[in-house]
Amino acid sequence: MENHPCPYGGYLKCKNFFCEYGNALSEVLHYCCDVLEKIAQGDTSQKIDIVVERNAVQKLINSINKVSEELSEIIELTHELAIGICEHFDVLRRLQEGDFSATASEDSSVEVVRMLGQLINKQRDRFVEYINKIKEQHQELIQSYEQQKTIISSIGVAVIVVEEDMTIEYVNEEFESLTGYTKKEVEGKMKWTEFIAPEMLHKMIEYHKLRRINPSLAPRQYESKLKDRNGKIKDVLLNVGMIPYTKKSIASIIDISERKKIQEQLIHSQKMESLGFLSGRVAHEFNNILTAVLGFSGILYSKIEDPQLKNYVQKIIEASERARDLSKKLLLFSRKEESKEDIQEISLNKFLNEFSEFLKPVIGKDIELKINLPEEEIFYKIDRTHLEVIFMNLVTNARDAMPKGGELSICLKRVSIDAEYSYTHPLVMPGEYLLIILSDTGIGMDEQTKQKIFEPFFTTKPKGKGTGLGLSTVFGLVKKYNGHIHVYSEISKGTTFKIYLPIKETKLKHSIDKNALKGLETILIVDDDEQTRGYISSMLKDYGYKVYEAKDGQEALKIFERNKDQIALSLVDLIMPGIPGIEVMRQIKKIKPEAKVIIISGHPVKLKNIITVEKTISPEEILFKIRNMIDGKE
Amino acid sequence: MADRSLDYCGLKCPYPILKLSALYPQFKQGEIIEVIADCPTFEKDIKAWASKLNKTILSIEKMGNKLKVTIRI
Repeated sequence: MENHPCPYGGYLKCKNFFCEYGNALSEVLHYCCDVLEKIAQGDTSQKIDIVVERNAVQKLINSINKVSEELSEIIELTHELAIGICEHFDVLRRLQEGDFSATASEDSSVEVVRMLGQLINKQRDRFVEYINKIKEQHQELIQSYEQQKTIISSIGVAVIVVEEDMTIEYVNEEFESLTGYTKKEVEGKMKWTEFIAPEMLHKMIEYHKLRRINPSLAPRQYESKLKDRNGKIKDVLLNVGMIPYTKKSIASIIDISERKKIQEQLIHSQKMESLGFLSGRVAHEFNNILTAVLGFSGILYSKIEDPQLKNYVQKIIEASERARDLSKKLLLFSRKEESKEDIQEISLNKFLNEFSEFLKPVIGKDIELKINLPEEEIFYKIDRTHLEVIFMNLVTNARDAMPKGGELSICLKRVSIDAEYSYTHPLVMPGEYLLIILSDTGIGMDEQTKQKIFEPFFTTKPKGKGTGLGLSTVFGLVKKYNGHIHVYSEISKGTTFKIYLPIKETKLKHSIDKNALKGLETILIVDDDEQTRGYISSMLKDYGYKVYEAKDGQEALKIFERNKDQIALSLVDLIMPGIPGIEVMRQIKKIKPEAKVIIISGHPVKLKNIITVEKTISPEEILFKIRNMIDGKE
Repeated sequence: MADRSLDYCGLKCPYPILKLSALYPQFKQGEIIEVIADCPTFEKDIKAWASKLNKTILSIEKMGNKLKVTIRI
């Protein structure tokens, strides 16, 4: 550096007033300082426009101007960066808050900011894509859940979901109707244990715990007892499984009370059948022995002269007769009664009106007897004695059940049993029935007694008061007519017996003119059963027909061969020893293709293109069929 | 009357707007914020910031070498 004339060197605040350079240099430097200060504050619009001769000062001015320019660019960039960051920061904040409409600008002049904006937008698009996918999956899950919920609620079976602590998490509508509790009352509030009958609780809790250790340790299906809102116990079948990835179990509950009841009915019926078979066999054998006892006692009685000994034999005869009565009752129960029946069509209205007069002294004055009969007269084919036995036994029992008096009502009506009723009472076939209802307001009986009342020798009466054969006889008689007997009873309220007797259609009886059934033609009857053959033969003769009888197919074909022009129609039994009925019919048709044949059978059968008749239908119906066939109406 | 007042005097730009952005998540929608700064480029920065972020500048008041800007969030 050259020696400067100014002793102060021309620096700031130079006091040398006479220095020719001092003032000017000082001013320039002051100015430079001011500009630099403004630049330092960020004002890069500052620029020094003066030109000085002194090279060093001019260089300083140039440098200041360059700093200002370059700093301006840096500041501009910094601001651009800052604004870009602020903007992107705001977009990220909005995205984080879930506002996916936020879009980062991609127009910044700063490349990195522009790229950051693009990156944020791409990231947002990817997020939106994921979110839409999640939403779709969520929607599918909701739909699937709704579908499953609908399936579970409309499956027709009660379903529940049980948590590990036994709290019920979910129930369907079926569960509501099964238990009487509402969804609101149960879900999350009640425990599964509250629905289980006390005697089944221990087993159920054990299964519940074991299933959570390992599902194979507890049975998947088991029977239990469920307690409903009214405390009623229902037999149920449970199907339990674990829900994957949870400690929850799902159970379907099927009410099997009705099924159990039906099973019990079947078991009871089978038991009664076995008892009937056994008592029938015993009574039969017993009767054979009694025949010998009574027979020889009779001979002995006629041969003994000594009055005392005669008296002893008399006692033997009397005791044997009592035993015979007893075995007769047993045979009635077993439906193997050997005595001759007198089955006739009787008016039940008339019968009950007459019989009620007889019953009044039996039941006494304290019991009011009410007979409820339909306006229409009901006819039924039955042995009158059987009907009397049925009513006498039921009425006597009702009387004994009302020692302090009460009301005894007998009702008679015609009912139709539909398939639905038949489903819950499998022993009863659908169809028309005669219903006899006998109700008392007596002491009633418990379930255990009810189960046994039809068993022979079961009695609740004091020793010597009843034989225990009354109701078993009624049971046997009702079964004899293919009927059913049901008993309903409540302790202290009374007992009702319902007897269903099947009705065979008897419309023909009223609608057919007997003269129209008559004929002069010749008919061939083929039946191996002599009684049936004889019965049909005499019936046909009564109506004017001529009859040939054959005991089997061989005889029938011989008769037909000889009298083919005379025989107008052949009645052939379906099942016979030797040539079966159908074959006899074929042979007859071979002899005379236009021959008319009716197949008769002991049970209802349907054969293609063959006219059949049941032996059990009324004579008028058989005659009606024969007449129609001869006249070419069938 | 502003809901919140921020004093950024002594801070060089673009610190004031960076600080303002950092505080932004704490603000409520519709809140009125008052920012005071003395950086000469603050006015330019705050205007750019408000424009980019779609905020409304309610007033700009000069107080000596300081600047008071009122913004609605």
